[in-house]
Amino acid sequence: MHHAHIDKFAYQDSPIHRLDARVKFIATVIFTAVVISLPRTSFAILFCYAIGPFAVLVLGRIPLKFVFKHILLVSPFVLILALSCPLYDKTPVKIAFGPSAFQTTVGWMRCCAICGKFVVTMLALIALVSTTRFSNLLVGLGKLGVPKLLIIQLGFLYRYIFVLIDTAQHILQARAGRTLRNLGFNQEIKTASAMLGSLFIRSIDTAEQINIAMQGRGFNGSWRTISRLKISSNDYIFGVFFAVFVISLYFFAVSILN
Amino acid sequence: MHMANELLSLPVAGGTLVIAGGVLGLICKKAKQVITSEKLALMGILGAFIFAAQMVNFRLPAMPGTSGHMVGAVLLAIILGPHAAAIVISSVIIVQCLIFQDGGLLALGCNIINMAFVPAYVGYYLYRIAAARSFSNLRTYIGVMLACLIGIETCAVLVPIEATLSGVLMVPFSTFLITMTGVHFLVGIVEGIVTVAVLAYIQQVRPDIVADNLCGKVRLSKRAVLATFAVFTIIIGAGLSLLASRMPDGLEWSYAERPDQPNFKPIVSNNDSRITVIDRLQSKYSLMPDYSVRSNGENENSQASVGWTSFAGVFGSITTMAVIWLIAWILRRNNPRTIIAQ
Repeated sequence: MHHAHIDKFAYQDSPIHRLDARVKFIATVIFTAVVISLPRTSFAILFCYAIGPFAVLVLGRIPLKFVFKHILLVSPFVLILALSCPLYDKTPVKIAFGPSAFQTTVGWMRCCAICGKFVVTMLALIALVSTTRFSNLLVGLGKLGVPKLLIIQLGFLYRYIFVLIDTAQHILQARAGRTLRNLGFNQEIKTASAMLGSLFIRSIDTAEQINIAMQGRGFNGSWRTISRLKISSNDYIFGVFFAVFVISLYFFAVSILN
Repeated sequence: MHMANELLSLPVAGGTLVIAGGVLGLICKKAKQVITSEKLALMGILGAFIFAAQMVNFRLPAMPGTSGHMVGAVLLAIILGPHAAAIVISSVIIVQCLIFQDGGLLALGCNIINMAFVPAYVGYYLYRIAAARSFSNLRTYIGVMLACLIGIETCAVLVPIEATLSGVLMVPFSTFLITMTGVHFLVGIVEGIVTVAVLAYIQQVRPDIVADNLCGKVRLSKRAVLATFAVFTIIIGAGLSLLASRMPDGLEWSYAERPDQPNFKPIVSNNDSRITVIDRLQSKYSLMPDYSVRSNGENENSQASVGWTSFAGVFGSITTMAVIWLIAWILRRNNPRTIIAQ
């Protein structure tokens, strides 16, 4: 079945894809931290920050339509909270933008800033995930000091998410085929809990079989991988570009804000 | 429910990230003694089960057109025990963030505390206190209901506290809190009913799964229970008291003092010492000065120049992005070797 998962582009090849997972991860964290610490009412500067992840996405050959569709998909919670800002802060301000100046409220500026930050940090996160294979990201995270137990857990989880989602979709299809009218809440819950229960039992049985197979192949709690993670000259170039980008934008932003 | 980066300030996001990371590290260390390599596949697959379980939806009564689904955290906590469940649910939240982009990277700390630690520990211990040893009696079901309801409500209280401490949102704390707890009260009840029904089903079909603890026995020591509740009471109590003192003036305390703008007249002054400490921390650790908005009629010239700078910033950035895209497009057209993974 078809899954709308985001990391299908991680299996492409581009200079960005070949960068070390650790470098990309740390860059994304720093970038996100810088963006969320921007003033709560400034909007214009976010456009400048968007250049970075945008360039990475374009170089990594990630279709922009896909990126924006995905951002829209995950936005409702943030959007509702952001839209509540104009309701509570009605301090009028006048903002000048190029030749025009107009009247608005601080609430609207905050709302725009929250939405803008959301889009920019999402761009950065999507740029990370859609150019890095999850397995490489996990190896990188492990080398950065994340506990091994958690790394193995994440690896197993990622491997089986789509298997179990497939099973769930089969079960849902079967229910849809048999439900011809509204059954009432009691029956709904009964059916849903039976579905969930059987899914749970099926997951545990699958886990047992996998465990037997893995024990048979000598699994003792750690993965042996041919780790290809190595910091190369490309990573240094990326790091320098990233540092120059963030530092110069910092001075630019400070000059705008003062 | 997932917090986003943008609703948190850097100190809150960083602080919760450090707390969550530290606690998760401790749990992993502790769990290593209990969890053998045979259980690793089981934990991974039960994490994946959460994703599949959230797809199974059902119609809700009284609200036509809406459907609910199970969250599943308390179910895992009951079946796996709190430590293993905390690891599994944390991994679920990390994957939701990285693969499905639900919740921000820096908000991971908040999300792990709210949605993994609270249901796993509070839910598990509440269930164990309320429920008797054997399954399928009324007491057990009440225990499960309580665990789900209070676990989810605690999480619903934590979200507004974190958001308000960050000061990004303008919603008054009390409004936010009432909305969140109200909505999550319903969510908690539905979650409780479904969890009870699923446990009853599993008990009927495979009693061995519920009877023996899948990931090693967790002894219910009084100290652990008390410590868990004490920590969460302190967190919630401290947060609430901190917020209550400023409730009348909403969030405006955050611009009561502007070290970067000496002429700034405080709109509201709140002399609570705790708040000034947090305010100072926030202005110290935010990388840039906040609030460059000038009020009406003040200093037209400087405002115009700011206007032009931001104008140049926006259009310069858009042009740069267009140029990058164009260059990439031209390069790609000349080089037809595009690999698109399906």
